[in-house]
Amino acid sequence: MSTRITIDPITRIEGHLRIDVEVENYAVSNAWASCTMWRGIETILRGRDPRDAWMFTQRFCGVCTTVHAMASVRAVEDALKLPVPANAQYIRNLILIAHALHDHIVHFYQLSALDWVDILQIPKADPAAASKLAESLSPWTRNSRNELKAAQDKVKAVAASGQLGIFQNGYWGHPAMRLSPEVNLLAFSHYVQALEYQRKALQVVGMLGSKTPHIQNLVVGGVANAIDLDNQSALGIDKLEQIRLLLAEVARFIREVYVVDVCAVAAMYPEWFKIGSGVTNYLAVPDLPLDSNAAAYDLPGGVILQGNLGAVQPFKTASDPVFRESVTEDVTHAYYQGEQPLHPWKGETEPQFTDWNGDRKYSWVKSPRYKGQPMQVGPLAQVLIGYAQGHALTKKYADLALGQVSAIARVNATPALLHSTLGRHAARAIRAAMLAELADKHLQLLIDNIAKGDLSVHNQPVFPFGEVEGVGTHEAPRGTLSHWIVIKGGKIKNYQAVVPSTWNASPRDEKGAHGPYEASLLHTPLARPEEPLEVLRTVHSFDPCMACACHTFDPSGTQIARVKVL
Amino acid sequence: MNKKITIGGIGSVLLGDDGVGPYVVALLEAAYRFAGNVTVADLGTPGLDLVAHLSGIDALILIDSVANGATPGTVTLYRKEDILRHGPAPVRMDPHSPALSESLLIAELAGEGPKDILLIGITGERYEVGAELTDAARQAAGVAVAQVLSEIGRLGASYSEMRSGLRSESFSTWWRPLAGETPTQIPSR
Repeated sequence: MSTRITIDPITRIEGHLRIDVEVENYAVSNAWASCTMWRGIETILRGRDPRDAWMFTQRFCGVCTTVHAMASVRAVEDALKLPVPANAQYIRNLILIAHALHDHIVHFYQLSALDWVDILQIPKADPAAASKLAESLSPWTRNSRNELKAAQDKVKAVAASGQLGIFQNGYWGHPAMRLSPEVNLLAFSHYVQALEYQRKALQVVGMLGSKTPHIQNLVVGGVANAIDLDNQSALGIDKLEQIRLLLAEVARFIREVYVVDVCAVAAMYPEWFKIGSGVTNYLAVPDLPLDSNAAAYDLPGGVILQGNLGAVQPFKTASDPVFRESVTEDVTHAYYQGEQPLHPWKGETEPQFTDWNGDRKYSWVKSPRYKGQPMQVGPLAQVLIGYAQGHALTKKYADLALGQVSAIARVNATPALLHSTLGRHAARAIRAAMLAELADKHLQLLIDNIAKGDLSVHNQPVFPFGEVEGVGTHEAPRGTLSHWIVIKGGKIKNYQAVVPSTWNASPRDEKGAHGPYEASLLHTPLARPEEPLEVLRTVHSFDPCMACACHTFDPSGTQIARVKVL
Repeated sequence: MNKKITIGGIGSVLLGDDGVGPYVVALLEAAYRFAGNVTVADLGTPGLDLVAHLSGIDALILIDSVANGATPGTVTLYRKEDILRHGPAPVRMDPHSPALSESLLIAELAGEGPKDILLIGITGERYEVGAELTDAARQAAGVAVAQVLSEIGRLGASYSEMRSGLRSESFSTWWRPLAGETPTQIPSR
């Protein structure tokens, strides 16, 4: 006898991610991930000038603006075989890194920490004991008794007001919440501090991209930043130094707070290293090109199948021929017309809406597959693929994080534990630490290159008369993003974006294979099926973002979610 | 000391009338110059990154499309308490769900939220994929501009008109559709 639970947040007129699970004997026995919003926004690009495409794609998603802009210019450059000056590569890399650092910090603290941290335990904490515990874990200077007491007072004030405000909808007191009051307090105090550091990261995006959330400095063939070391209004020494200081502050927060918190929380919920693995095929593309021709990268890419790290298949470039040929999208269970899986260049987006039917069509997300296989993308994929190739920077921070978990939990944490819900959180923190270190490196590469006298930022695009195809990739905060473009006579003939959450939130394919969210939920234990906190823990660990769009404000308060138990 | 004020347009310019907020911002930027303490921003469709734009300012003026059941093109004003009345969404799945109310609550919690908030809501008519606004939304954009200017005056900030006679009905932006393009229809549910 199974129970069906539907989690369907109806937050805007179009809706977002919906999860359905069947529960038998307090464990998930089947799962469906669906997107309740039509994803056909690419059709708006047909017939337009490829040089303008990034301005539009940047509006696909308000959270992932820069990443869609970047993938788009890269797609056009790939189609035209147009190299990008080294300065432009470094400036783009710095923007991508700063955006990712902002995104990862917000994801852990504001979007998922409260799945593990019980706010209502905080008033019981002893700030002095919490401060002592924090000092044993990290050199961070903002863990003093006074700082923690102030954080505790914030929570007490909110509780005393009778209006829980931001906290009114948590699963507080849930039996799956297990941190001590002191650890809850520490994590909450960092939740508040995180707001400052994510903002500093965004500031860097704004300084290089001239505006946030929509950067203005991209062009097909490079960037539009004027470089002049002695001119204060251009990109010069003053601005670069300011960027260095901001990035250093963010890097310190990541090393001394974010990574430490993730390891501490993980060490106190060790069973979550055994829950939530699901699809153990992983995909990542190389990113952060190191020179004009993108002959080398700072982040490795490749493919791992069935969790076999020993047989990792590396990609040489960000548009590796094997990758280009191996991606298809299936619509058997998605609300689109179509008979067989199609390559994105041949992709169609013809809607065919039916009601939600778990056996037939049930999602607006297509099912992307790599050589016919569902793939998990995201920081975990990237860290495992780097680790499997012996990539030094990946190993450095992965071993550091696993070492911290081992020390706190008194276990021997190995990379095998990372195929899990907590593994995804740990990998995101590891990736953030890697990126924070690389930010400094790429800033220095930029300064050194300018110092050599190279002020070039842009190569002029030239369009061939006939038809050309290109793919632009980016290893975005949520994983592999690819934009696929067909250009004919200088105009866009077809455009498809295969976004990270499409890989991860994909519905079943023509062979019935679950997508990664779905597979990861199978066998998850639920203490209280009517409060499916455990389902949210795993879904949130992927950092879902449904290439969303409509933000109409609804003043009637219909920001309701249904957690429906049938 | 001059109050720090942010004027922000919210919405997707690719989804019909959802783009009316950024459209009003484009109008304001084309026609007016504001004093240095006023920031004008097209905020797109933010999630919690909105917190960064709400922190450390005294007053916030937002222009957004609203689903309030009024006749399309109706302009309705909301204050802070109207926005916060319903609190955050009960279940949050992705970073978009929180958006405005949750971002405001988080900024409040950190003690950095704006004291004064005005949301100028424009009731939209069509939200299908397409970069065109309906006539109702375009006309309402002109009303919204006047509301922004009146709020700026109430807050004691200054501005000057750079281009007079700019009409919201005929003003075009980079995302306007190609000639003859018709918005793609979403199939009915």
